[in-house]
Amino acid sequence: MLAEIGLASLALALLLALYAAAVCLLGIRAGSETLLRSGRNAALLTFPATLLATATLVVALMTEQYQMSYVWSVTDPQTPAVYRFTALWGSQRGSLLFWSLLLSLFTFGAISLSWRTEGRLMPCAIATMMATLAFFLGLSLLLENPFERWWILPDMPESRQVVETALIPPGAIAPSMENLAASATGLNPLLRHFGMIIHPPMLYLGFVGFTIPFAFALAALASGDLSTGWIKATRRWTLIAWVFLSLGLILGGRWAYDVLGWGGYWGWDPVENAAFLPWLVGTAFIHSVMIQEKRGMLKTWNMALVVATFSAVMFGTFATRSGVIESVHSFARSEVGFPMLAFWAFMTLIALTLLLWRWQRGELRGEHQFANILSRETMFVLNNVIFIALFAAIFWGSFGLPIISELFMGVEVTIGPATFEFFVVPLFVAMYILMGIAPLSAWGSTSARRLGKAIIMPFSLTILSVLLLMLAGTGAPVSIFGYGVVLFAGYVALFEIYRGARARHRGLNESWMRAVTALFRRNQRRYGGYIVHLGVTVIGIGVIGSTVFQTEVQHSLARGEMITIKDYGLRYDDYIRAQAVDGRMMNIAELTVLRNGAQVARIRPRVDDYPDMPMTIAGAHSTLENDFYVLLIGGNRERATFRIYINPLVNLVWWGGIVLIIGTVIAAYPKVVPARRVRKREAESAR
Amino acid sequence: MAEISWAKPKHPRKAKRSERLKFLIGGGLILASVVYLLVSGTLQGARYFITVDDLLKDGAYQGKTVRISGAVDGESIEYDSENAIIRFEIVNIPGEFDDLASALHAALADSAASRLSILVEDEAIPDLLQHEAQAILTGALEPDGIFHASELLLKCPSRFEETSPEGLSAIPEHN
Repeated sequence: MLAEIGLASLALALLLALYAAAVCLLGIRAGSETLLRSGRNAALLTFPATLLATATLVVALMTEQYQMSYVWSVTDPQTPAVYRFTALWGSQRGSLLFWSLLLSLFTFGAISLSWRTEGRLMPCAIATMMATLAFFLGLSLLLENPFERWWILPDMPESRQVVETALIPPGAIAPSMENLAASATGLNPLLRHFGMIIHPPMLYLGFVGFTIPFAFALAALASGDLSTGWIKATRRWTLIAWVFLSLGLILGGRWAYDVLGWGGYWGWDPVENAAFLPWLVGTAFIHSVMIQEKRGMLKTWNMALVVATFSAVMFGTFATRSGVIESVHSFARSEVGFPMLAFWAFMTLIALTLLLWRWQRGELRGEHQFANILSRETMFVLNNVIFIALFAAIFWGSFGLPIISELFMGVEVTIGPATFEFFVVPLFVAMYILMGIAPLSAWGSTSARRLGKAIIMPFSLTILSVLLLMLAGTGAPVSIFGYGVVLFAGYVALFEIYRGARARHRGLNESWMRAVTALFRRNQRRYGGYIVHLGVTVIGIGVIGSTVFQTEVQHSLARGEMITIKDYGLRYDDYIRAQAVDGRMMNIAELTVLRNGAQVARIRPRVDDYPDMPMTIAGAHSTLENDFYVLLIGGNRERATFRIYINPLVNLVWWGGIVLIIGTVIAAYPKVVPARRVRKREAESAR
Repeated sequence: MAEISWAKPKHPRKAKRSERLKFLIGGGLILASVVYLLVSGTLQGARYFITVDDLLKDGAYQGKTVRISGAVDGESIEYDSENAIIRFEIVNIPGEFDDLASALHAALADSAASRLSILVEDEAIPDLLQHEAQAILTGALEPDGIFHASELLLKCPSRFEETSPEGLSAIPEHN
């Protein structure tokens, strides 16, 4: 029964999405308000319909309906409840449905919020969003159906007796529950981690979220309403999508760091890169869109960026799921590859054609031109150039080079992590320098003298910090230069906040606390943006520390023996075998961590024996200064081997991520305070 | 009184010629440096992604850093945990295949397929290094006939791929 409910609601959602897209387009043509309203209502209804389909699958997962092949393939009777739930995105079929759910949710939000204000853009935006939703729902229904069940056809020859279909085949009987439960596969142990519980939803929210700005941009191009309306309607959506994508990337890194046991968090794997690419174009867009709002410039460019972001999302999804790119992430070659490629090409082509058409008609001409090389708009353009160069380099290395060489040379040529680092390090250095200079320059034009004056304070602080680092004996000149560049960007952000607060403190006689609060309230986006910059600075410090100064050793220890690595001591105390609640055996080493002779922690790195593979779980003692990270390689009670990493400042990568999120929330938070104040004032005057 | 107009200016202000020249030169320099970065990085770091057969048959690849892929023979895996040295053998997987899991299985069952000894130094033994995993290795075939790998990636498609439940129909139905 559950499967039928799921199937019916999935089919209903697909019909609603198709209807909404078609009726909206017809409504625009016929100029009929009734048709448009009907289209809107159908679009709004796709959310409850998709929600019902997803809820059905969740119920099936939670109540162990192993006849449903998806449930059978991602859970088994030992799977704990939390992983039963997260199994929704544990494999392709469930995650596609989950993707549709998020898209319908975003669409619901966008329609509800913008229907009144953006009447002209709405019909076409709805059609775009619904076409995208219909595509994903169609994939779910026709190619990757999560509601398929196992059936036995007794009349068929033995090799073809077991079939997997959504609808009940004639004469079919259901297999026995015990047998299904006994043979169920269970969730991949690598995915049983806190990071995996929230990493995929965050990444999907980020991916899906970029559909909204794309839909509005396409609507602006199609309707000819090329004012900043589409940007205003999608500003917050873009930031929301961006922050989720950032969070997804950071959590993915955290998962790799905790689970994959190589002491790192980013490996330049094509699938990681595929998720990073939309982030790069999205970040460029978030910056350049401000130039259009403030100066009416770069209209074509912004359109191109928003199309590129959506296109990168679709391409990334295709690359991850089709198995076309050799990656540790991509598994089976899937049937969804070709339709995804076709959809990606179709949407990108439509958007580019419309863009070219409007551009040719001169409707996207800027209202100003770049007048001064030191102006803020030039800095923003440079920032965009850097992000696009990063995009180009990473795309080239991950997809361009392998695909082109395969096509034209008959042999695939790839590049490794070292080459990616060779590409991106200089570009990131340039990015941090610009992150420092751009906020100090003014719109329109800036004289070199004025810029020089503004730079003095943060630059002096940077020099001072660099000197202190040198005095403290912090490693190679390269890393000190890196720290200098990163710190400069951070000091500028802090200095700008200080400057703004000081002006209010002096001019309006406000207390410092009040001045800072008022500053953030008055100009959320600008100062929220500075907090984001601070977050990126903190991440930069963490990345330099954990890559340049990492220590990695492997040692074999007898029980009771201790080794010293830098100022840390590690003593091997004991080795135990224990059974976890789900039945797997765990081999646990008990270790004492000492620092400068004093005990600071007890850690328990372990190796879990899953039926098909072992899984190494690191033991770590984390401080803000560094991570003392230990893997159990093997051994017995008398003697065991450990791989030990000291990863300096690695926690700043995660903490920087949190600062970045806080900054984005400040920037995107709806302004509710003034409205409340207005009401309060009205109430007071009425008295 | 000054008038404020919200309409678009009809003629956008033209940048001065000298400024435009600066933009052109600046833009050209940036483009040239990015292209240089990509070209030089690619030339330095490009590695052919070839099969074990290609590597063994074509002498030109010997000693050069290449990327290869092969099926791991589980019985050959040895790990010297004292010195962190991994040794194992991989078997050639044909360049074209439909399903990775069955290609790996078939490769290991084929006694005529070419084999290659692998040596990885200073690495923790990865959890996924096991029989019928696909190993993707970067390194070079040295004169000792052993492939010295500096980078080791593993994929285990057979483990969690959706297969159909075995023996379902063999057991009689409940109801």
